[in-house]
Amino acid sequence: MEAKRRWFHNPCQTTERDRRNQRRIIAWSLLWMVSWTAGALAIGREWLAAEAAGVVAAALSAGLGIATLLAYRRFLREADELRRKIEIEALALAFGVGIVGGMTYWLLGKSGIVAEAEIIDVLLLMILAHPVGILIGYRRYS
Amino acid sequence: MRNRLKVLRAERDWTQAELARELDVSRQTVNAVETGKYDPSLPLAFRIARLFATTIEDVFQPEEEP
Repeated sequence: MEAKRRWFHNPCQTTERDRRNQRRIIAWSLLWMVSWTAGALAIGREWLAAEAAGVVAAALSAGLGIATLLAYRRFLREADELRRKIEIEALALAFGVGIVGGMTYWLLGKSGIVAEAEIIDVLLLMILAHPVGILIGYRRYS
Repeated sequence: MRNRLKVLRAERDWTQAELARELDVSRQTVNAVETGKYDPSLPLAFRIARLFATTIEDVFQPEEEP
């Protein structure tokens, strides 16, 4: 129990390499989210001509998104092996929750029981399921 | 899989953090291996055996058949 408590409060439990790679992911993710939000605002509020804004926003967002993916791939390749296992199990959970949840909700939406979902809802579901999977993994192997 | 990692570590009076540093893994990994919650990869098993100057079979043993 003491060991478990210590783990959650002591970042030294992970390797320095993992922490460095995680910082890279966070930095690229933030840039990506900022660019995506700025692009969505620019298009929505018509700050620029819709077509030009769309092209610029999509290109910038895609570029930074790819950089985020590459940072994440590097993290997975270089990660401590247990951390990698936890991460992959969390990804599997997020993917499963997204697919099963999305398909189930789609059926409910088509039958009129709930409002029809959009793709962004499924993505949000996956984004929320991922950290839950990470926590489950930490608890399982601690 | 059973293992003698905790015993080998204790013989050298190392902490889990020290062993983790030597093996270039997280302390959580050392803890999970010691408690049998996680079976290490073959490369890590070799690193462990080499660090303790012994064989993999001396560190890790399969669970006995029921």
